[in-house]
Amino acid sequence: MLAALFDSIPAMIVLTGVLVGAAAALPGVFLVLRGNAMLTDAISHSIVFGVIMVWLLTRELSGPVQLIGAGLTGVLTVALTEALTRTGLVKTDAAIGLVFSMLFATGILLIGIFARQVHLHADTILLGEIGFVWMRTTPVLGVAVPVSMVMLGVVLVLNLVFVVLFWKELKLATFDPALAAALGLAPAALHYTLLTLTSVTAVAAFDAVGPVLFIAFVIVPPATALLMTRRLALIVPLAAALSTIACVSGYFLAVHWNVAIGGMMATMTGVLFVMVLSMRALKRQLQHRRPVPGNPAPWP
Amino acid sequence: MRKERTQTLLKTRRTALLSAATLAICLSGGALAADPPLRVLATVGMIADVAETVAGDCAEVTTLIAPGVDPHYYSATPSDVRALSQAELILYVDFALEEQLAEVLRALSGRTRTLGVLEAALAADRLLDDPEAPGATDPHAWMDVSRWAEIVPVITAAMSEQRPDCAPAMEARAAAYRAQLDALHDWVGEAIASIPEGNRILVTAHDAFYYFSDAYGIQASEAIQGISTAAEASIGDILEVAEFVIENNVPAVFVETTVSPRTIRALVTEVRARGHRLEIGGELFSDAMGDTGTPEGTYIGMVRANTITITDALGGTRPPWPAVLGDWAAVWSLAD
Repeated sequence: MLAALFDSIPAMIVLTGVLVGAAAALPGVFLVLRGNAMLTDAISHSIVFGVIMVWLLTRELSGPVQLIGAGLTGVLTVALTEALTRTGLVKTDAAIGLVFSMLFATGILLIGIFARQVHLHADTILLGEIGFVWMRTTPVLGVAVPVSMVMLGVVLVLNLVFVVLFWKELKLATFDPALAAALGLAPAALHYTLLTLTSVTAVAAFDAVGPVLFIAFVIVPPATALLMTRRLALIVPLAAALSTIACVSGYFLAVHWNVAIGGMMATMTGVLFVMVLSMRALKRQLQHRRPVPGNPAPWP
Repeated sequence: MRKERTQTLLKTRRTALLSAATLAICLSGGALAADPPLRVLATVGMIADVAETVAGDCAEVTTLIAPGVDPHYYSATPSDVRALSQAELILYVDFALEEQLAEVLRALSGRTRTLGVLEAALAADRLLDDPEAPGATDPHAWMDVSRWAEIVPVITAAMSEQRPDCAPAMEARAAAYRAQLDALHDWVGEAIASIPEGNRILVTAHDAFYYFSDAYGIQASEAIQGISTAAEASIGDILEVAEFVIENNVPAVFVETTVSPRTIRALVTEVRARGHRLEIGGELFSDAMGDTGTPEGTYIGMVRANTITITDALGGTRPPWPAVLGDWAAVWSLAD
């Protein structure tokens, strides 16, 4: 039964998407709430810097060393962004842009100087095509499981353990960092751990499904869930459920139109967001037809 | 009681006879009916066309990377996934070309027969090195028809191995195709030789023409980008080529269907700004063939179109189209 499931290619593809969606939703909710979700995009670019540094140090173009390098570059991106923001002179979004464009440009320059002749770019290590996840497998308890699913499963468990263990602290640090600090909860350390986990999740997901689909999963489903409820405890499972819907519907639509699978799944996260957003707008408009007595007149 | 038993026995025997007969019919029927066509997957059109021409009805050939798409950029659709999972034979050029797919092809070689046609067909001394990366092979061997013709027997053998019944028919078609390719090779050589000697310089967007240069005696050392289109062209690269173009009085440069014409346009602007004349000689098919259903969507048509574009732009004259290729031209209703 289980072996049959792992033999089905469509099941493998959709399940990988669902795993990425769940693993991304956990840090994604907090990133969206803190307003630094675009750090995931930054990481996808600064990885070029990691690729060339690892190549210069080890002359390895692929394999675990490159993945570790990518993870460390992600952490470096996060640390530099945080340090810049901490100065109070630069806002978070500007800091993200400053750091990743600098790392990306340095990477391209280093490739131009030292490795012109080598086919070196971020894609070299981060193939990331969700349609191909079924090809690289590893035996787990006698069943051939895609390597990407194993990696994503481990990352998902890590994220889940972290979020469950530090739920209260994360909640407080997100909404009231000053109070969290006053209570001795070390919001900075918590924040770093969250961003380091995001970086690790990003590298595992880039390797499995490519950067764009991952960024879509980090940002869009949590943003959609935020439109649906205000209860933090509901937002995380809701975001994971929305990604699952996007994966399944995206896969079947991709089959129907024979278009890129990853692209269709990312599109579906956007479609779901627009649907929820328009329902919200419609609801608000209906409410505004009957102005509540005592309230000031709403925006015309 | 006894009678009944005999009857049952008779019945059983009859049934046995019947099923034996059915089995025999089935078996003979099975032998008569052809095997299902071999499912072949080719990464690029240049290989798929060769496989299709040789296979006839014996194989169903799917191309993974659509015409006009740079193999360096590729994303998978569900039909690609199905084709990859169901293929019985996978043909690719060389990992240097199908960079993105290399890892996937390696992973698949465990369950499906995969064949790198360049490595199988050509001895190491006939393969050119990527001049910017010592040790790496330049994959663009289809630019030399005599080299590409060598993949015909390799592909034929790989398909015959899995459909032995089809082998004689495929070998006959392969021989006819090779004769066509030999004639095409001579025709291209003649066409390029007709270009005035000083004009025999090929300037393109990326280094896809070393084999063409090697086979047909046209200098192709000046391209803006290297073998791979993955890296960005720098201003220095463009200026360097511009100086070369002016120094050698090159009359025309060429864009490629799979590479953005931006860099070549920048080159033309630069050369003209310095008061020299330079034309864009036309569009060459470098990393992919033309659209399916057009003559350029076949290997012969792709080579023909490239040769005509180059010959016309650099001041040569087209030689008459070989008689052996008359049938090919008739299919596409091309005169000359």
